[in-house]
Amino acid sequence: MILFVARRLLSAIPVLFVVSLMTFLIMWLVPGDISAEIGGADATPAQIEQIRQQFGLDRPLLERAVQWYGNLLHGNLGYSYLLDRSVVAAVFERLPVTLPLAALGLVLATLMGTLLGILAAVRHNSWLDQSAMVAALIGLSIPDFWFGLVLVILFGVTLGWLPTGGYVSFTDDFFGWVRCMTLPTLTLAFTQMGVIARMTRSSMLDVLDQDYVRTARAKGMRRGTIIFKHALRNALVPIVTVVGLTAGVLLSGAVVIESVFSLPGVGRLIVGSIQRRDFPIIQGGLLVTAIVFVFVNLAVDILYGWLDPRVRDDR
Amino acid sequence: MSEQKTGMKRREFLVAGTAGIVALTAFGTGSAQAQVAGGEVIVVQGSNPPSLDAMATSSGASRNITMNVYETLYGFDEKVNPMPILAQGVDISADGLTYNFKLRQGVKFHNGDEMKASDVKASMERYRKVGATANLLDPVDSFEVVNDHEIIFHMKAKTPTFLEAFSSPRAPAVVIPEEDAAAEAGKTSLVGTGPYKITDYVPDSHVTLEKFADYTQDTRYDGPDGFGGKKTAYFDKATFRVMPEPGAQVAALEAGEVDIVETMPVPAARRLANSPDIAVQQNLQWAFGTFILNMNAPPTDNPKFREAIQVALNMEEVMGIASEGLFGLNGGWAYPDSPYDVGDIGAVDYYNKADIPRAQALLKEAGYTNAPFSLLTDNSIPFHGKAAVVIAEQLKAAGINVVINQVDWPTALNVRLQDTGWNGWTLTMGIEPYLGPVAITATLTGKRPHFVKNDPELEALYKELISGETPEIRKATFAKIQKRLYEFFGIVKLGDTGQMQGLRANIENFKMFRFPRVYDIWRKS
Repeated sequence: MILFVARRLLSAIPVLFVVSLMTFLIMWLVPGDISAEIGGADATPAQIEQIRQQFGLDRPLLERAVQWYGNLLHGNLGYSYLLDRSVVAAVFERLPVTLPLAALGLVLATLMGTLLGILAAVRHNSWLDQSAMVAALIGLSIPDFWFGLVLVILFGVTLGWLPTGGYVSFTDDFFGWVRCMTLPTLTLAFTQMGVIARMTRSSMLDVLDQDYVRTARAKGMRRGTIIFKHALRNALVPIVTVVGLTAGVLLSGAVVIESVFSLPGVGRLIVGSIQRRDFPIIQGGLLVTAIVFVFVNLAVDILYGWLDPRVRDDR
Repeated sequence: MSEQKTGMKRREFLVAGTAGIVALTAFGTGSAQAQVAGGEVIVVQGSNPPSLDAMATSSGASRNITMNVYETLYGFDEKVNPMPILAQGVDISADGLTYNFKLRQGVKFHNGDEMKASDVKASMERYRKVGATANLLDPVDSFEVVNDHEIIFHMKAKTPTFLEAFSSPRAPAVVIPEEDAAAEAGKTSLVGTGPYKITDYVPDSHVTLEKFADYTQDTRYDGPDGFGGKKTAYFDKATFRVMPEPGAQVAALEAGEVDIVETMPVPAARRLANSPDIAVQQNLQWAFGTFILNMNAPPTDNPKFREAIQVALNMEEVMGIASEGLFGLNGGWAYPDSPYDVGDIGAVDYYNKADIPRAQALLKEAGYTNAPFSLLTDNSIPFHGKAAVVIAEQLKAAGINVVINQVDWPTALNVRLQDTGWNGWTLTMGIEPYLGPVAITATLTGKRPHFVKNDPELEALYKELISGETPEIRKATFAKIQKRLYEFFGIVKLGDTGQMQGLRANIENFKMFRFPRVYDIWRKS
């Protein structure tokens, strides 16, 4: 296992190199830079040039690339043009917002999606199956910003039970934090659970048709044991894949949810930086995102091995 | 649609559907109300301030906050006339070559130090280096500290419009402590002299201001006036929250979680017009909607082609859709009834004509052969994109082969700096019309006017404008400028757009202005 993890980590190095190179080149190709944010619509070419010089944007591409990779090797992802802090600091100060949101959203989406999927598979072709899949389809189809705003109007404006947005650190006010994270988490979970539910249903239907399940039933084993101990475990591999992909997306920042609920998370940081052309944050933020994906995929692979010894043996 | 068809006067404001929206908050009647001290006011805006270093940015999102924190020697009063703020006054020599500013005494910085002339000198010298509109100090040769409370600006040449330009809030020449003079842009200690001081800044989340207990009020005035006057901080704390989603901003206002929404979406404002808990204020003179033409690139390098565009457009349709009904039809380059309003000189035969046959005749005269017309616009400012769509349809109806190029804001600014590759560009001018003729004309002249290529006659008129000795002389020159703009058609005036702000009805004495003043307002007990 250690060898497997080490091999996977080593193989991540070229992936991260390519990601960083692509990001760097895209940022170079994209029109416009920080001078637009600072200079505005009335800036003259001379003022634009002065701002570009100030941030070293007038230097040749190769020189900038060498500096970027040199800094990277020293663990320095650069310094934001506008936020007056290092990229690492800027990203890490957003993680306490993004990580709990992603974790809570993922747990809730997985619980809801898996239960809905199991229910649909076990009651295949019944009204329960149809209802569960309609719910999953609604979750998949509804735009998250719309669903978020509906929750805000219902629970924030009409009922006044929960805040409409904003963020309170859990170290400052734990219950305030719970209150402000409830609606974003629900929105995230509802809009993500659809794909998990559908994958669970499909995977469970395959497994429930297997001979060993029939045998277990014939032996008189309790239904709950068959479903949760035997069938579900064997159906988990594709479910874990979907959950892993969802985790990667959520950990790199749920941009729309963060915007609707005014949460200062990683997603908003990166999108805001793209709008402002704050290149160091974009490059650093995307690299961190790539690292998150690499580690989530690694965790998923390890889980495969734990769930299915045949996979482990193949390695 | 012509004016006759609509039955409206040229400048009659169209406030379709907003007739019922009135400012429910009393304006400047603080003396008749019981002021309540303490508490917190929460203001919401959509954009993150790119910097809290007031000198270094011309961003409105920054100005909303920093103008509560920093002050200038001179600024604009409510009627956009220069007024002394940190200065006691200024003596201008007869030859116009020295400006002797006497400073108010006993004014404290947030760090407790007293403001002195050396701080002013250091601030001005820093402004020359990092100021976003550093050229406003170009006419100044040097700064001489006479004593702690007196400083002389030695001018290179007589510049009658200097005090107006120096009072500009666009990227204000604020006074900061001498210790911050060497700080790079965006890296000061954020210390000013205003009624509030910055205590916390979390990008994309909020900026917190706290009442400055030792604030030195300007007792020459009875109350706040424009950017100056006697300012009183009633709230202990003022928080500016950054909420990018307009629907979420309105929801937070309705739920009572925030007190003031800096830019209220017009449909939401209409919906809440009769709410007892919400007050809506509007200002119809917030910005100019414009359509800039590239005089360097074909086919817009041909004046007849540009004239065809001018006469083809139906401004009422463009403005109505782009501004969601909050607009005024005005072909003049000053707001109606403002000091430099010169009426519809030049505009009579050209503004809001929607005259397709005339446009087609002009296109024929121009020898137009269906060459593509690249209409540059962006999706960051809703007005720009919506206006572009309507303009494109109207120009297509006249027979112009319009291709819309919609990009994001930084890309649009990059493209418009190219000499070719675009023909038309939709742009709202917010602060320039507020500042007046010099600021507007400055964007249309110089090395790189908005329409790329200089118009020599306009250049000469701009020089005449900035050297005009009195406002009356400058107004006469501005009339010639407006006439000239309707002769070469480098820029099309679409109309005046408004802005709406929403606030909780229990916030008293708030008056909509170019930035949300969080002083001299309080919460009704």
